[in-house]
Amino acid sequence: MTENGVDLVLDGNAAAGLLQEIFVRDITTAQIQCESCDSTGAVGSLHLYAMPMGAVLRCAHCDGVLLRAVHTPHGRWLDMTGTRYLRF
Amino acid sequence: MTKRRLRDGSRSKGTPSMDKTPISRGFRSRRQQQTPKIRLPPGQYVTMDFPVLSAGPTPQIKVENWTLDIQSGGSLLGTWSWAAFEALPQTTIKRDIHCVTKWSKLDTTWQGVTFDDLLKALGLAEAPTPYVMAHCDGGYTTNVQVADLVGGKGMIATRYEGLPILPAHGGPARLLVPHLYFWKSGKWVRRLRFMKADERGFWESLGYHNYGDPWKEQRYDGD
Amino acid sequence: MATPGKNRDMTVIETSAVSVRRLEWQRAEVRKIMVETPRVKSFLLHLPSWLGHLPGQHVDIRLTAEDGYQAQRSYSIASPPEDKLLTLTVERVENGEVSQYLIDDVRVGDQFEVRGPIGGYFVWTTSMGGPLCLAAAGSGVVPLMAMLRHRCRRRKNRAPALLLYSSRSLEDVIYRDELDSMAHRDSDLHVVNTLTRQQPEGWIGYRRRIDKELLAEAFVPPEWNPNIFVCGPTPFVENVSRFLVELGYDSLTIKTERFGPSGG
Repeated sequence: MTENGVDLVLDGNAAAGLLQEIFVRDITTAQIQCESCDSTGAVGSLHLYAMPMGAVLRCAHCDGVLLRAVHTPHGRWLDMTGTRYLRF
Repeated sequence: MTKRRLRDGSRSKGTPSMDKTPISRGFRSRRQQQTPKIRLPPGQYVTMDFPVLSAGPTPQIKVENWTLDIQSGGSLLGTWSWAAFEALPQTTIKRDIHCVTKWSKLDTTWQGVTFDDLLKALGLAEAPTPYVMAHCDGGYTTNVQVADLVGGKGMIATRYEGLPILPAHGGPARLLVPHLYFWKSGKWVRRLRFMKADERGFWESLGYHNYGDPWKEQRYDGD
Repeated sequence: MATPGKNRDMTVIETSAVSVRRLEWQRAEVRKIMVETPRVKSFLLHLPSWLGHLPGQHVDIRLTAEDGYQAQRSYSIASPPEDKLLTLTVERVENGEVSQYLIDDVRVGDQFEVRGPIGGYFVWTTSMGGPLCLAAAGSGVVPLMAMLRHRCRRRKNRAPALLLYSSRSLEDVIYRDELDSMAHRDSDLHVVNTLTRQQPEGWIGYRRRIDKELLAEAFVPPEWNPNIFVCGPTPFVENVSRFLVELGYDSLTIKTERFGPSGG
């Protein structure tokens, strides 16, 4: 079992299925800008945590939370508070 | 979707319409353990591992820099350094823990300072408000009612199975509220904030149940 | 959409897989099972409404038990878009509920649900050009194999490619014979194996985990600006990516797929 937690992070690409349930299209190639540090990159290159509870996508530079998504039996939730923009 | 009762009394969520969904021949859950059913909340399975789930990178916290703050309405009611916190009365408990992702771990042993002893150390006969928000390193938050913390129900834990809690499992100190789903036991806790009104924390504001009683299978908002 | 017939090289795949449509579950039937290594099998699936995919993408599969219990997992697609059947290559993982069922119990004719393709970020097609530098550990080789198989089918514009592949022992090298034969037939493809735990007698290849020196020796130099894909367990991916950046490769050209602690 993981001792230091380093093995827990995945790539944003691994959240592609969950995100496509919400966005209908694949957003992993979309550009996303971090509101905390202004850096921009592809959604697929973000750092993904918290699976399988949900997708918490963090900035690869500053670790700020850009996007959170959860799939529940009662609906899907999306919070994009830390994102300045998403560009398809 | 209707929730079908399975043979063992647990419920499967998301039961498909049986004429459309292909059944995978011979597939069955390998997680039906030989555990007295009375011990396990519905939908859970027993694991011998200790799975780790985090909403962010594991903070590397040095105890010499660690403090725990207790806050209410903008005032600091109390703060402890690591040394001072370790000098508070210590309690050891053995409990089962239940994660919303369906694993349960039985008879886990934790040591730390109970919420009751924190109140005593603050010179408070009772909590100033009914609700608490736990704030953790890395930004994670979770809300818990005082009623679920007093009477020995909640503690700030520093040891697991007799050893300092590993960083991946929330060390040096985590909140421990084992009678609720384990997301409420916030890892890397640094501040308890008393609130007059309930506010939803990290998962509670994103579709998870506000209370989280595993025995009522309160996983998601709307359950 | 793949057009069968003469002009296989003209198959338009770039637009069909990365499209705007809701992911739907469809019924997959196992048509063939191949044993790759003692712990790894490939499953060739027939899907009634498959619209194509890009090399590197994955699918979600969902198993349903008689009592309604369901389990869902993601697996990388091993086959190139040029293939008629969809191939998934699965490693049997300790305590892996789904992988154990797939490896131990599944037979030809069995069915489960599949949705996809998913994930347009970690993809490579010949139109993206090269050189192509791939680094894999264990089952991380699966999506990279889809890329190499696709490259192999496209006779024109074959960019130079390299696969650096870390396995525990020779018997754990997935697709070993096929990789040998691909490299043998194609002077622009190099496959470099490193065996980290056990090596056969007379092994003259690498016998250690991939480190900075190994990467510097095996990969094309940064000035050649290769397209780089790294896949495998999370610690492996993190180390290799870090080494590559330290060696001077542009981090924008490095795409990673971490499989998590158990390696997928």
